[in-house]
Amino acid sequence: MRMLLVVLSVTLVAGCAVDTTLPARTAERFHADLAAHQEDAACALLAKRTAEKLLDPGQTCAEALRDLKLGTAGPVTAVRVWGDDAQVQLSGDTLFLHRYSGGWRVTAASCRPHGDRPYDCEVEN
Amino acid sequence: MKKIKENGLSLTFLVLFLLALGGQALAGLALFNDQQLVDGGEPVSFVKYVASSDFAVDVAENWQSEYLQFFLYIMLTVWLVQKGSPESKKVDEAGPGSDEKQLVGRYARSDSPAWAKAGGIRRSLYSNSLGLVMGTVFVLSWLAQSVAGVASYNSQRLLDLRDPVSWGTYATSPDFWNRTLQNWQSELLAVLSMVALSIYLRQRGSPESKPVGAPHTLTGVEN
Repeated sequence: MRMLLVVLSVTLVAGCAVDTTLPARTAERFHADLAAHQEDAACALLAKRTAEKLLDPGQTCAEALRDLKLGTAGPVTAVRVWGDDAQVQLSGDTLFLHRYSGGWRVTAASCRPHGDRPYDCEVEN
Repeated sequence: MKKIKENGLSLTFLVLFLLALGGQALAGLALFNDQQLVDGGEPVSFVKYVASSDFAVDVAENWQSEYLQFFLYIMLTVWLVQKGSPESKKVDEAGPGSDEKQLVGRYARSDSPAWAKAGGIRRSLYSNSLGLVMGTVFVLSWLAQSVAGVASYNSQRLLDLRDPVSWGTYATSPDFWNRTLQNWQSELLAVLSMVALSIYLRQRGSPESKPVGAPHTLTGVEN
């Protein structure tokens, strides 16, 4: 019985005690860097695999982001965090993030909903 | 040493349970970290994995079905019988039994539990305590499965670039019911096998079996 209560407590803590501030801040910084034409800084907030997927041959991450012209996104309207994954909705964009040992990183950005199917994202891993 | 011998069955199952739970945690960790590579994540530590919703849902879904199995078995065998099975009462003994047979109230012995000698709510509670505890643990385990399940499910949905769902949506989702029913069917099959096979088959020395020479039609007799 005690074991069960421990499992239940761990589960509730794991499911409920979430920090939404850090992924929200990361998403805002990503778009703020893009708006300030600081694509190198924005690239540093991308997950490694996402940054690699962006590149055409001979292109840098900053150049690839600049070419995408992702546009402005506005303030955060909703943040949902489950485990090490998060979705941050800004007034003009939806981003997906993953928590790595070095902090939250953007795995997908400039995403549009597609019913119950995966979002269509300009940037994704 | 005498204490160990007198509690050998409980101790053995406790040790086997802990070994199996530890093994599940290690195997689950290896599987989880393998999937992390596929998903572009980082490997996690043993401690982080056993505190994760992925581990919790895998544990809870099995616990709830086991407690449901024993809850149903305890409660249904009060009223339902199976001719020839040592797991069943005799065919004409279905029901909760008389106070005299149950050793409660004025029929209680000097060494009967205190609440069996008592009357009212205490006796009613104690008379159903095994079923109540098994049923309660089942409900709590099932609830834990749903809470851990929605966390694990939503984490995967976010990884797949999909919107997370509410607890209510998850509780009616194929993932929840697939996890639930795949466990229920196996538990129910195991009970059915035990009830039916013990009519015709024997295990010498086991209290779960009739004596080897007992006729197939003999009901409610254990070694």
